[in-house]
Amino acid sequence: MRKFVFLIMIATAGASWAGGNPAAGEQKAATCAACHGPSGVSASGAFPTLAGQHEDYLVVALEQYQAGSRKNPVMAAQAVNLSEQDIADLAAYFSKQKHLYTPKLAR
Amino acid sequence: MKYRVYASALVALLSSVAASAAGDAAVGRTKADTCMGCHGIVGYANAYPTYRVPRLGGQHPEYIVAALKAYKAGARTHPTMQAQAASMSDQDMADIAAFLSQAQSAEK
Repeated sequence: MRKFVFLIMIATAGASWAGGNPAAGEQKAATCAACHGPSGVSASGAFPTLAGQHEDYLVVALEQYQAGSRKNPVMAAQAVNLSEQDIADLAAYFSKQKHLYTPKLAR
Repeated sequence: MKYRVYASALVALLSSVAASAAGDAAVGRTKADTCMGCHGIVGYANAYPTYRVPRLGGQHPEYIVAALKAYKAGARTHPTMQAQAASMSDQDMADIAAFLSQAQSAEK
């Protein structure tokens, strides 16, 4: 029984971690769009394209801006007010847009 | 005479822009071997903390160069990426960025 409860706890912890909501993220992404483009494909090389980036990478990037371990004045100012849920939602939204991909060496 | 000075200044400006932007994707392909050990493997994960390494295919080459320069200068920290960028010249960065931004996809 104890083992069973433990398994449920692990399963729900996993579910809440993965709980980014792309629809909510789209609503929260209006500010991001000014630089990163409306669907995360930026128009300028000064700003990275986010569309199709890995969800967990986007979460780590925003957390690092928030903590100050990754330094960028503009992004630090944006990230400072984001909750954990905001970060999860934004990452879910941008990762589900199509653009970026894993490159291969073939010619 | 004045115009000639302006004209040569303009030429110098334009050629410096061209030089900084000129990455050769074919050359970059041969320089990107090490990069592809992580970034070329679908779903490859960084350890401690665990997260998948960023997808670079289709990214702006200017942004990739900016990221590499930030790693080299220590403005952006990541042990592996700082070690890689430390030995890269500006030309290496431009070539690698040109290749990665327009490489074929490993996910199709």
